[in-house]
Parts: sequence; structure tokens; C-alpha cells
Amino acid sequence: MENQAYRRIIPFLLIGIVGVFLASILIGRYPEPFWMPWRVFRDDPLARQLVLKLRLPRLITALLLGMVLSAAGSVLQMIFRNPLVEPGFLGVSQGAAFGAAVSILWLNRHPLVIELSATFFGLLALAGAYFLSTRIRYGGWVLRLLLSGVAVSALFSAGVGVLKYIADPLTELPELTFWMLGGLYSVTWQDLLFVLPFALLGIGVTYVMRWRVNLLSLNDETAFSLGASLGRERLILLLFTVSATAALTAISGIIGWIGLIIPHIARRMFGASAEKSLPAAMLLGGAFSMLADDLARTLLPGEIPLGILTSAIGAVLFIYLMISMGIKVRSHG
Amino acid sequence: MDKIISLEGIHFQYDPLDPLVLSDLSLEIPAGKVTAILGPNGTGKTTLLHILLGWLKPSQGITRVAGKQHRDYSKRELSRLIGLVPQFESIPFNFSVYEYVLLGRSPYLNPFQLPGEEDHKIACDALEAAGILHLAEKPVMEISGGERQLVHIARVFTQQTAVLLLDEPTAHLDLQNQNRILSLLKRMAAGGSTAVMTTHDPNAAIYAAEHFVLMNRGRISAQGPVEAVITTENLSEIYQIPIRVEKNNGYIMVVMEKGRDL
Repeated sequence: MENQAYRRIIPFLLIGIVGVFLASILIGRYPEPFWMPWRVFRDDPLARQLVLKLRLPRLITALLLGMVLSAAGSVLQMIFRNPLVEPGFLGVSQGAAFGAAVSILWLNRHPLVIELSATFFGLLALAGAYFLSTRIRYGGWVLRLLLSGVAVSALFSAGVGVLKYIADPLTELPELTFWMLGGLYSVTWQDLLFVLPFALLGIGVTYVMRWRVNLLSLNDETAFSLGASLGRERLILLLFTVSATAALTAISGIIGWIGLIIPHIARRMFGASAEKSLPAAMLLGGAFSMLADDLARTLLPGEIPLGILTSAIGAVLFIYLMISMGIKVRSHG
Repeated sequence: MDKIISLEGIHFQYDPLDPLVLSDLSLEIPAGKVTAILGPNGTGKTTLLHILLGWLKPSQGITRVAGKQHRDYSKRELSRLIGLVPQFESIPFNFSVYEYVLLGRSPYLNPFQLPGEEDHKIACDALEAAGILHLAEKPVMEISGGERQLVHIARVFTQQTAVLLLDEPTAHLDLQNQNRILSLLKRMAAGGSTAVMTTHDPNAAIYAAEHFVLMNRGRISAQGPVEAVITTENLSEIYQIPIRVEKNNGYIMVVMEKGRDL
């Protein structure tokens, strides 16, 4: 009964992701566009500095970003029983954007301050959505949280609009806009250290609970009859995936579509059970995000915001999957 | 009569402002038998099943299973005792039959554990017992209604519980599939398990069950063996139409009287 495809393909995925990582170290625009020959890396101290100080932290962050968004997307789609949910939907992305804007306008433009403010507001949005959902007197858990998420997201999005409107168009607005388009251009080792604990916890907890996630995707009464502590287990998964997403969004800006599309591809390749599709989604997401970031920093002489690239590629993949029946939306209760 | 679940003086309402769904309801479920719960739409059968499961807590009254109150069990202990086949199980992701049936092992694994070799073996045995081993690799959402009902039952077999609750297990099934499900329940009971099913079909109930519970407006109007419960008077009264209970060669059959349209 073992999933044969999984056993066959996972080693290739693992080798693939290591390959992408190693290649990405040498992909860039120094000393010339697209590729740094090995001897340059060996002989040119500036090239080595560039790789160690700039590319490596950025690359590891891209890897973590892809893994976290895909893992969070997989988990949230399953526990919300809705294949169109993505990690930012509980207001986290818009909350983080609002936090970043607050910091850029009024607090401090130091990256660490922006990150802390974005993480704080991202988590505040989650807490707000969760609290609001407990006050709604009708509908199941899924409907209540989805409604609350939409409302909180809209509130923060309005807040971001106001801040954009009053931002100084010469100094603050461009920085704000660029932050929201998403990108890893400014990531340093310090940023990486900031997100590392959130990311590792998020990835670790979802990985060890991956079989259990299947159970949480069933009807509430069925999951209860199978011994699940629904509230507690869902809250644990929400907390770890969303805080990892919030922390990464704080340094990357809003990166859409990875968390939506990669879980679909993983389920299509390895079946619906998260026991296999979740680790696969993490690997695919990590590789996708590193490749997208390679494109973002090499395709044009200037940086292309990563969020634009992931949206463009993600939307095309989504259209392809829809047309080829890869996304099977069932009734959700 | 050996009872496995008992309810005493149960009152239940979904919201303190709503009317009572169940009022002053007392009930005993005999062990090792199939019990059928009958009654009109909206009379509280599913609610009653959810109270037997422990999923809903009564506003008043005492519920016991295997000698202890429901609330004295942990969720996991309870899930090793009682399994549920719900009326609607929407599965938004396309699990294979095997992946779905394997979830029946959840009560025996902690949230961080993966199923082991023993769990896989039990799942295979359950598929075989339900006669659907050949469907193992098929996506759950792409099999017929009758097969899906067998899959749900196989999932509960994997759970290895003493009690199986089924909410209208034969609804929307053709006669052959109804027979498959009902015979499976009878075989289970013969093997010592307890099954409780709700149904709108008295003949299906008579086919499989030994103990009958008739509900009306949130109360029990009769319970006991077939002759005592499935009578012309009882059924005509709760359904408010003329119904005839006939006995043919020792077999009881329920028919609607013709020509008495509402």
C-alpha cells in the first residue's frame, strides 16, 4: 500500500534541492550576468565576500521562505478544508504589511525594527481573527475563522491604504511600495538569525504532525470520534505555521502564490495524504523559491521584486492546473 | 439485558435560547446487538447519536458508556470505545480509500506519531472484512455511494471499537447495497460488537436490528423488541399517516396504506 511514486521521487527531489542550492550560490550578476565561474569564486576575494556575506544568507532565507509558505499552505488548506486557503489569509500578510508601514512612517527604518513591527502586527492580526471567530455565534469553526480572516485582512489593508496616502511620496512611499512587492534583496545574516527559530519551529512542528493533519481535515464530529482534541491541535498548528509566516513576511514582504500553488502540485504528485504531500511540498517550495529568487536577481540589471515573479509564475501554474483538472475542489462542510 | 450505553433524564438544546431538542430522554443500548433508532425528520435522532458518542454534552442528565460516565473518559479513551459513521462526511481532499481507512488508527497514536506496520496490517484486515480490499488504491471521492459507506465502516473497523454508531447508513443506497451494509452490521453483532443506527426505513431496521427505539419530538415513544415497538398504532401515531404493520410467514413488514394521500 506504500505510495510508490513517493519513494521513487523523493530522493530526486532531495538531490534536486541540494543541486539548486549549490547552483544558486554561483548564479548572479557578478562578475558578469548569470554565472560565476568556479575559478572566480576560488581566486577573487571580492567574489567570495559577495557569496558569503550577501548571497548565502539570502539563499538560505529563500529556501526557508519557500519551505515555510508551502508547509503553512498545506496545513492550513487541510485544517480549513479549503484548497484555496493560503498562509496569509488570516490577516497575517496585511497585518505584517501594516506593521512594516507603521515602522517606516513613524518608528524607524532600521530593518530589524521593521521586522519586529511587521511580525508583531502579523501576529496581532492572527490573534484578532481568532478572537473575532470566537465571538461569531453561527457556523462551524472553518466558516467563522475564514470570515474573521477576511474582515481583519480588510481592516489592515485599509490601514495600509491610509498610511500609503499620508506617506512622503519621495522618501517613505517608494520604500513602502518596494517592501510590499516583496523581495529578499536586503537580507543579511542578522535577518536570517531573526527568522531562523520561527522558521525551524514552523517546519519542525508541521513535519512531525503531518499524518495528524489528515485527521484534522475530516468533519469535526468524525475527527472527534477518532480521538482528536480539535481546538488544541488546530491551535498548535495555526500558531506555529502562522508565526513562521509572519516572521518571514517581515523580512521578505508579501510573497504570494507559493503557499497556494505548491501544496496543490505536491498533492497531485503524491496524493492527498499530508504524510507524503507535506514533506514534498516543503522540498518543492524551497526549490521554487530559490529558483524564483535566482531569476529576481539575475534576469535584469536591476532587481525584480520577488513577489511579482512568484505571482506571475504561480498564476500561470494555477491556470495550467485548473485547466488540466489538477485542482479538485470538493464540497467543504 | 447487558447494556453498553445508557442515558438518564437527558435534556439537550444547541443554544440556551433555543427550544429543547431532546427532553427527559432515557435510553439503554444493549451490548452485542444492532439497535435501530427510528423517528420523523427533525426529531433529534442525529443529536441523540452525537450524545451517545460524547461529541455533544447534554444540558442535563447522565450519560454512561461501559459503566463509566462519558466525561470520565479522555477523548482518546472514548475514541477506542465508540466509532462513528456520520450521515455526511465531506472529504475535501482526495484521499485514497486506504489512506482514509488508515485514519481509523488515530486513537492509538499520539499526534506526533506515524502509523506503524501493525496499524497498516489492521487497516488491510478491515478492508478485507468490509469486502473492499480491491478498492484500496481508489480515490474515496470517485467510488459509488454504496462503496463509500463500506469505506466509512472499514474506517471504524480499523478503529477497533466495541460500539459503532451509524447515522442513516442505508440512505440513498439501492437494495443490494443496503443488504451489504445491513448484513455487515449483523455479522458484527454476531461477533460481539454493538451497532446503533438511525434510519427512516423501518423495513431496513427490521432486517438488521434486534432492539428498536422509536423517537418523536425529542422524546422516546417506545423502545424494546420489534413486536413491542414496530406496531401499526405506534408508527401511525408518530408519522401521522395510516401505516400498516403486517406479519408474513413470521416476518414483519411495514407498508403505507394506499389511497390516503395527505
